[in-house]
Amino acid sequence: MLRKSSVSIAKDRVKALVVSDRVHCTPDVYDNICRELFGSLSKYIELTEDDFQVNINRTQVVITFAGEDV
Amino acid sequence: MGEVIVITSGKGGVGKTTTTANLGAGLSKLDQKVVVIDTDLGLRNLDVVMGLENLIVYNLVDVIEGTCRLKQALIRDKRYENLYLLPSAQTKDKTAISPGQMKKLTAELRDEFDYILLDCPAGIEQGFMNAIAGADRAIIVTTPEVSAIRDADRIIGLLESNKLKKMDLIINRIRIDMVKRGDMMTVDDVTEILSVPLIGALPDDEQVVIGTNQGEPVIGLDSKAGMAYMNICKRIMGTDVPFMELSNNPGLLSRITGLFKKD
Repeated sequence: MLRKSSVSIAKDRVKALVVSDRVHCTPDVYDNICRELFGSLSKYIELTEDDFQVNINRTQVVITFAGEDV
Repeated sequence: MGEVIVITSGKGGVGKTTTTANLGAGLSKLDQKVVVIDTDLGLRNLDVVMGLENLIVYNLVDVIEGTCRLKQALIRDKRYENLYLLPSAQTKDKTAISPGQMKKLTAELRDEFDYILLDCPAGIEQGFMNAIAGADRAIIVTTPEVSAIRDADRIIGLLESNKLKKMDLIINRIRIDMVKRGDMMTVDDVTEILSVPLIGALPDDEQVVIGTNQGEPVIGLDSKAGMAYMNICKRIMGTDVPFMELSNNPGLLSRITGLFKKD
């Protein structure tokens, strides 16, 4: 199967939609939030984009940092 | 003291009414005294799904306005022990009743019934507010589609801000063949996005269409959806029932031919 599964597209779309509904912003605002948070945190912590994740759920904003494998 | 449960979804057409009818029938099979209430004013449907449309004399608005007594408006479903329907009004709209009146009505019904199930209208307007006003808990129905999940998420947010914290999720119309192909979200995908505890996952079952054609809940029929609904009823009552496998195990031959099938 060469085509990208439609589920991964659906998941990306619905995740962007619920985040923008939850914080009342457009989907690209979420990307900007992530980028800026990454920018400010990487001043203090050694980060790669793969280690870093921002989740906005209905009650809180969670920043996940995978950190260094020990 | 009965429990008031609102069945809601945000988006229309995901299966709220069918779910309400089947959970009502299922709970009554489990020896509970149940009343199902259609709160969709102007778009009465629950009576049709249950096959009770010819028995309506009075409706929800009549009860609230005092045109009749509550007992007169309740329709007994003769096929089930202790299952009653309070139909909606077809000629009124959502402004005919208020959240306060619904609260009073459900409070009255609590003394008489074990479970009061409210079939909520689609949308987030007054009809929704009326339906959730007296509820202790909510069952959110969604399908594995982007639009339905998005609407469910908004509904969950609104329920939380209205202090309705006890809620469970039903994922409806799962097509296991599509899930396997990667063309439909899995149960885990949906619960991860919505982060609400799962109370049931229903396969897309032809028997549901056949059942609604006949005005007969599938819970009485030998079908996957019927069994899944029955399990949900048991979970509502607090029994821990394992989630059933949705896929039919295909025989060896079909599995081999499946290998060569081009999608």
